[in-house]
Amino acid sequence: MQFKFHIQRYDPSSDWAPRFERYLVELDPLATVLDGLHKIQEQQDGSLCFRRSCRSAICGSCAMYINGTHRLACKTIIKSLRTKNIKVGPLPRLTIIKDLAVDMGPFFEKVERIMPYLVANSSPPKGERPQSIEERRAINEMIDCIMCGACYSACPIVGLDKDYLGPAALTKAYRFVGDSRDEGAGERLSLVNNQHGVWRCHTIFNCQKVCPKSINPTWSIQQLKKRLTRRPSWVIFGRKG
Amino acid sequence: MYRPKTSDIWPPRYGLGMWAWLFQRISGLVLALYLIGHIWVISFSIAGQGGIRFDSVLETLQKPYVLALELLLFWAVLYHGLNGLRVILIDFGLGIREQHILFWTAMAVALALLSWGIIEAWPYITGTPLI
Ligand code: SF4
Ligand code: FES
Repeated sequence: MQFKFHIQRYDPSSDWAPRFERYLVELDPLATVLDGLHKIQEQQDGSLCFRRSCRSAICGSCAMYINGTHRLACKTIIKSLRTKNIKVGPLPRLTIIKDLAVDMGPFFEKVERIMPYLVANSSPPKGERPQSIEERRAINEMIDCIMCGACYSACPIVGLDKDYLGPAALTKAYRFVGDSRDEGAGERLSLVNNQHGVWRCHTIFNCQKVCPKSINPTWSIQQLKKRLTRRPSWVIFGRKG
Repeated sequence: MYRPKTSDIWPPRYGLGMWAWLFQRISGLVLALYLIGHIWVISFSIAGQGGIRFDSVLETLQKPYVLALELLLFWAVLYHGLNGLRVILIDFGLGIREQHILFWTAMAVALALLSWGIIEAWPYITGTPLI
């Protein structure tokens, strides 16, 4: 079946603004949007630039703006779009490097800020650090995050405050704060306890709407807020934003 | 590198939460402006204010179209208050995963109260009772 791809192109060395280009592609309706992009790149226009690696919705590099919403190109079956016109653009609000590839630098820099690793100060027990099924279940949802940046791009607060940590970094923070093995909760909570952290969230829920892994970052942010309000008030208000 | 100029807060791209948030801002602005207007109107009750009598101001405000506008104001109050309650509940950690249900419940209550307001205001606007 033939599909019409409308792809946003932008080459910083020659274009002063993005433009749309059209490609007719012969594809199986059960193929993915990423398959279409590959076909275009291989057969029609080798200069088309996009990111991908796993092709199975696990690496998080192919998040794009497809037919009106944020999706993973590799997870979007063409048939599910119910149209022969497929419009593909880069993640909105992020700086475009070329075509569909955006600058994820600020996104990952913010994730790094919340110490996205296990902090264990006590000496390890013999073998591994065990976790019960219940303890693990408490963070199942947060662990599913593939760092695709869809939620970050969809959040209007990210657009309004360039220092806002954003849904993904805060979800990652709760992934460790809620982890029974982690001992860095105090420090991590202090890092998100400011006007560019959890308190900036306006509960708009765009993040939850677009997440390809069905994660609800608002819920994680709320858990962080809850833990913060349980701390003595001088700890909450003592820190400058 | 190209930095998109729009901050992309066009709600139709997103879901209900975005609309709820946007209308919360708009109704908030409406209410704030109304309060300023209200204080201004009341200020005429102080004798000698620009030579305009308070009675004549009130008379103008009894016109049917002003009363109809007041229904809009009532809606702004209902929306802002009831959606505000939803946001407060969410901030207490209640119903985060059920925010749609919370929203539509709040709107059902708001609509019920608005209908009551319309029934009450109708005779003043049209001169005949609605029911
Ligand atoms: S929370 Fe969802 S949308 Fe956000 S980065 Fe993780 S997987 Fe992507
Ligand atoms: S290519 Fe890895 S998530 Fe799509």
